Amino acid sequence: MHSFWVDLFVAIIKISVILGIALGIGAFLTWVERKVAAHIQRRPGPMVVGWHGLLQPLADGVKLLTKEDLFPRYGDKFLYHLAIILALVPATLVFSVVPFGPEFEIFGYKVKPILSDVNVGLLLVFALGSMAVYAVALAGWASNSKYPLIASMRKAGVLVSYEVVITFAVMGPIILAGTLSTYEIVEKQVEQKLWYIWLQPIAFVVYMFAALAEMGRVPFDVQEAEAELVTGFTVEYGGMKFGLFPLVEWYIEGLTLSAIAVVLFFGGWSPINIPFVGFVDPLFFLGPLSPFVWFILKTTALFLFILWLHWTLPRYRIDQITQSAWKIMLPLTLFNIVITAVLAPIVWR
Amino acid sequence: MIKKVATKPLSWLERIFFIDFVRGLKITLKNAFRKTITTHYPYEKITPPKRFRGFFAHKVVDGTEPQPAFQEWVNRYNIQVEYGKSRCVVCLRCKRACPVPQLFEIEGKKLPNGKRVVSVFNMNMLLCTYCGFCVDACPVDCLYQTDIHETASYTRKDFILTLEILEQIGKDWQMRRGNEPDRIWIDDEQRMKLWYENDVKLPKPEGV
Repeated sequence: MHSFWVDLFVAIIKISVILGIALGIGAFLTWVERKVAAHIQRRPGPMVVGWHGLLQPLADGVKLLTKEDLFPRYGDKFLYHLAIILALVPATLVFSVVPFGPEFEIFGYKVKPILSDVNVGLLLVFALGSMAVYAVALAGWASNSKYPLIASMRKAGVLVSYEVVITFAVMGPIILAGTLSTYEIVEKQVEQKLWYIWLQPIAFVVYMFAALAEMGRVPFDVQEAEAELVTGFTVEYGGMKFGLFPLVEWYIEGLTLSAIAVVLFFGGWSPINIPFVGFVDPLFFLGPLSPFVWFILKTTALFLFILWLHWTLPRYRIDQITQSAWKIMLPLTLFNIVITAVLAPIVWR
Repeated sequence: MIKKVATKPLSWLERIFFIDFVRGLKITLKNAFRKTITTHYPYEKITPPKRFRGFFAHKVVDGTEPQPAFQEWVNRYNIQVEYGKSRCVVCLRCKRACPVPQLFEIEGKKLPNGKRVVSVFNMNMLLCTYCGFCVDACPVDCLYQTDIHETASYTRKDFILTLEILEQIGKDWQMRRGNEPDRIWIDDEQRMKLWYENDVKLPKPEGV
């Protein structure tokens, strides 16, 4: 009985920490994005509210919350609100299988810094990722407007094709690790002294492309295509409801997909890797905090890379996107799986 | 004859390693770490060039009138010239040049000594497109455009420029910038910040 209450307490702490990270950092990332975008275009970005505009997300939040709540005439109220929930909940739930660091002991209790170490963690990630299609399709349909509908159909098309690709892309690391649990995949990489990126560069590139497509970021932002579709499927949403979609799509999904990429390809919390030889840790002086810092550093770097891509590249056409998914990416990933299956015994040893 | 220019198709090496992506990324990274070139508008303001097409003004009689044109027009219309007042000779050329019929409202009056002078000169800036045709039409270099461009207001009344306001703006502008050399760009530090990199090297024409 005693251990049940402790477990419950630990779980509640983990949930609050993860929710804090997901929503707090998610809002803060709007500021990061605006700063990165601005500096790439040689502007300073937000500068007025707080030091270098640091309180800008707060001001934006207050503005969005106090806006008039509009609802499109003849829209479907139930689906309209369901879409918001369907967008937010699955995207945030993915955080429950992201391992932030190795197991540690506190007050005699062993705590894994992962909300639920499910043995099918990765399956859960992509199952929840597929839920995004429903949110997008419902948001477009319930708005009863033509631009959202076109946008949602485009996004649904992109998502459906890239869901397949991303699932095949992560097969490589799964074969090498021999497990679906995210925590164990990282442990395997530490054990095998190998980041999987060294053996899976093709899978990584394909994964990044698919991740960009799922986040709706450039070069796959056809669903939003400002010049054609205003802002895509969020046209008829107002106030905080409008704010939630980009928050979920660009920031929370961006964070989770970068975190999963770090787990799969960059050895999660492990420091810099020399393949098959070992790990070099320039942050050794941080002691037990070092793995957490490494994980955060890697995720941040990957997220910034995605931002960098977003503000550099032009946009593909919808037919080019689906074509590259089915004709190039999918055969590449299948080829990659075959190669991996051949290489796997060397890694397993 | 049309010269056909085709871009080279990407080679397989370029396709596999995303060379064009990498090139683009290099450019944005380089720019991301350079100094920003913007001015922080409400806190920093660029001085517009002297010939900026902003709010209108009337030049006043101060001895810098274009002679002998000014004297000819004054004689022709029998105008009372007064130092420190508008140079307007009520020829209505600005009103005729204007593409908007209702923008100008100009009236002159006859003084007891038989000479004439402008009495009403209203411009409705809400209708104005700032094209500057009226400035070109003015024969005595009276009506012209100034560098005043922050003209937002809460009432429509503020957009009617009367004769007094026009003269006032004109005096102010002549005091501030009247002596500046008449160039398109002034050598302003802020503006240099914007333009110093623009050393565009044009290709030499072929066969010369």
